[in-house]
Amino acid sequence: MSVKPGIPRNSLIWLLVAQVLVILPHLTHLPLWIIGLWLGCATWRIQIFRMRARYPRSWLKALLMIGAGFGVYFSRGSLVGLEAGVVLLIAAFILKLVEMSTRRDALVLIFLGFFAVVTSYLFEDSLLAGLYSLLPVTALLAAMIGLQQSSLVTRPWPTVRLAGSLLLQAVPLMLVLFLFFPRLPPLWSLPQAGDRGVTGLADHMAPGDIARLGRSPELAFRVSFDGDIPPREQLYWRAVTFERFDGRRWSQSYASHLPQEPEWQAVGEPLGYNVVMQPSGQPWLFALDVARVAPGQAQLMSDFHLQRRQPVNQPLMYQVTSWLDARREAVRAPESLGRSLQLPERGNPRARAWAMELRRSAQEPQAMVDALLKHFNRQPYHYTLEPPPVGDDIVDDFLFETRSGFCAHYAGAMTFVLRAAGIPARVVAGYQGGEVNPAGNYLSVHQFDAHAWVEYWVAERGWVSVDPTFQVAPERVEQGLEQALARERSFLADQPMSLLRYRDIGWVNTLRLRWDSLNYGWQRWVLNYQGEQQTQMLQRWLGKLDAQTLGLGLVAILGVLTAVLALFLFKPWRRETDPHQRLFRRFERLLARHGVHRNKGEGARSFAERAAATLPEQAPAILAFVRLYEAQRYAQLPGTTDELSHSLRQLRRALPWRLPKPAGRS
Amino acid sequence: MRTRLDACLRAVNEVLLGKEAQVRLALTCLLARGHLLVEDMPGMGKTTLSHTLAKVLGLEFQRIQFTSDLLPGDILGTSVFDKDSGQFVFHPGPIFAELVLADEINRATPKSQSALLEAMEEGQVTIEGATRPLPDPFFVIATQNPVSSGGTFALPESQLDRFLMRVSLGYPAKAAEKALLLGESRRDLLLRLEPLLEHDELRTIQDAVSQVRASDALVDYVLRLVEATRTQPQFAWGLSPRGSLALLAAARAWAFLDGRDYVIPEDVQAVLPTVVGHRLRERADATGHGGGALVQWLLREVPAL
Repeated sequence: MSVKPGIPRNSLIWLLVAQVLVILPHLTHLPLWIIGLWLGCATWRIQIFRMRARYPRSWLKALLMIGAGFGVYFSRGSLVGLEAGVVLLIAAFILKLVEMSTRRDALVLIFLGFFAVVTSYLFEDSLLAGLYSLLPVTALLAAMIGLQQSSLVTRPWPTVRLAGSLLLQAVPLMLVLFLFFPRLPPLWSLPQAGDRGVTGLADHMAPGDIARLGRSPELAFRVSFDGDIPPREQLYWRAVTFERFDGRRWSQSYASHLPQEPEWQAVGEPLGYNVVMQPSGQPWLFALDVARVAPGQAQLMSDFHLQRRQPVNQPLMYQVTSWLDARREAVRAPESLGRSLQLPERGNPRARAWAMELRRSAQEPQAMVDALLKHFNRQPYHYTLEPPPVGDDIVDDFLFETRSGFCAHYAGAMTFVLRAAGIPARVVAGYQGGEVNPAGNYLSVHQFDAHAWVEYWVAERGWVSVDPTFQVAPERVEQGLEQALARERSFLADQPMSLLRYRDIGWVNTLRLRWDSLNYGWQRWVLNYQGEQQTQMLQRWLGKLDAQTLGLGLVAILGVLTAVLALFLFKPWRRETDPHQRLFRRFERLLARHGVHRNKGEGARSFAERAAATLPEQAPAILAFVRLYEAQRYAQLPGTTDELSHSLRQLRRALPWRLPKPAGRS
Repeated sequence: MRTRLDACLRAVNEVLLGKEAQVRLALTCLLARGHLLVEDMPGMGKTTLSHTLAKVLGLEFQRIQFTSDLLPGDILGTSVFDKDSGQFVFHPGPIFAELVLADEINRATPKSQSALLEAMEEGQVTIEGATRPLPDPFFVIATQNPVSSGGTFALPESQLDRFLMRVSLGYPAKAAEKALLLGESRRDLLLRLEPLLEHDELRTIQDAVSQVRASDALVDYVLRLVEATRTQPQFAWGLSPRGSLALLAAARAWAFLDGRDYVIPEDVQAVLPTVVGHRLRERADATGHGGGALVQWLLREVPAL
């Protein structure tokens, strides 16, 4: 096979480099055979370039393609879906390498590369990933430039330097587009990557769930307070309440999904803060009690948790105002009280008996709660993330046998006992505390800050929150999980890579906090710069403007740019002034549409003769026009001015070709 | 008038086989009152061309064989003392003919060359103080051999400029050569040729040629061509105004031969290689033979319209 237009060496080099750079960030979610596929295809490609190998035959190509398809199917269990789709895309990106023989193929490969770079954002959109993607983009640009270079250019560095400078030149445009380009809502919803949004609170709580979270160093959300950061003991981030207990696990009641704002009264100073939460895959937002957000973003549900319509599948930023001392449903007994007394028919008899006993000794509900808390405090309860196994009656076993567990156990047990004693109570799940980052003066809440506590309802006071874990391990609340687990050294024991484990080492910690702060800025100001944030920002700069003005402005700017470009391209000031010449140019354009182009040095007659040979049917008309043109322009015959030639041209135009038939090159 | 010219062309083409383009150019040159430089190897038909042209057009023919010992007097003529009358009597040289073939012009010394060239330019000869006009249709065909340059004096550019055109005959095509080999001797054919044009007619035609219309647009094209030779870097030097005049004159004659009374760019392009080729040099090769590639560049790149 001949190497007709071929792909220059320079372009090939950069294409191979770009492929490595594009595939690299995908490696975490690609099957290993992809590496082998790339090595094979790259070697083959190089051998083709060295003329040691030939292009694959079509049956081989088909075989490779089907093989890759099967590979994806077997390693990902499907051909559709985000992950399988990306693997398929990368496989195609690699396979195209051996098939490409013309510049056009190389261009397809390059564009595929750009697309693959974008897909990597679906998995990782941190600052580092964003900066990294500049590398493959530069390499792809270099490959594109290399395609246009002569094959005599053999040194790859100048090419990539040019690509880099092109990228730099594009930065202002990028910034302008970033700031002003309207963010369109997605036209289709993209399935989420499988391993994202899994860590986090679920809509139910079984023994061990929160312990699992306690081992995860992943970020849950970050908060910037408008004023000072409140003390740790007040930072109970509510996510969801669990009102149903089936003897083993606590879960949300259906009623709590009702979008019905409960009755509450603001007391004390409001607290304003801004939350950027990581994707959780769940619809609820995190906030301190009692919270209010901008309408439209989320709604306060009947159990005081905030919920959106759709699950949070990408980082979400929202502004909250909270009243920490608000009185909740204190005026009259809410309808939901019945749900807060529900217990399974049987099970945990000792706990029930004990609850009745306590109730009898303490007349007031508040006294009952105090007695319970005192019990947790006085008795030898033990806080651990690795509780011993319990039997069927989990509350009984926990309260009277093992006496060791973590927040979920304490909250669950306390709620059970309160309900058994006839006091409406429910488990609240969320996060507690967080890590203050002095570098950015914000709070990072990680998954290991997940927590569960109790709230009970008393007439006239409404819902009251209480944290039994505080009685057992006050350091959990005051200093965080790490201190609570200091004795058993189990904090992030199975996460040796997590920098959070090395908080004791001063400089590592400083570095980690600074880096975290940088990422937070990236997320707040770059990733979340869309929709409302964009409008607000633009309004701050440009004054009052709505989407319509913005759109009109953009269109106007675009129009001006197009006009300038058009002026520059068409150069109306250099318009032909001679009427004959203008007509002739029109004649020329007409023929050009039929595939006959006049060479620069070609006279009217020779051009016409050539055109007549190409379009024999129109020959008389063509020659007639040119004869007239010559007579007027060169023989300077009087009388027959441009009217005549114009009419003649019209005639010509009407006569032979209305439809541009394919240029007659046989 | 045109039919007469066509007949002339046909007659010449019958003798000089397969050289229609060159014959046409030669006639163009003559009609434009220019002189022709034929550059070719010996035996390619240079003499036949000039002889036939002279015969067909009814011109008196003279041939000067240029050699290194040729003196100006041998061209122009000398005064010889006449015993009978006791006076110097002028014996005109071979230059006093209507069509002069200056064979191997580069073999003569520069002094003799310039004698001829001056006569060509002035149309008259001044010998011993007396100015003698040359015959009215006066046409010089000079030849030179481009290959063997030993013992020759190459014409300097200033003198090449005096020739309106430089053509090269080249080998005949196979068919033409076969016809030549099978046919009669050219010498016999020449003898049988009859003049087809009177002197008056030739003069009328020449006058008519100078009347051929060159419009503004066309002159602009000529100016663009000339401008390009003067501004583009690959040209060692540009065309002189004599060059542009020559180009326009030749284009007029070509247009006339084509039966038109106005010039179109194609006429200019047809005569461009022969009119301009010997006046241009490439910058990279300023002492070289000529600007064939430059002319091609002009034809290709200078906008014709």
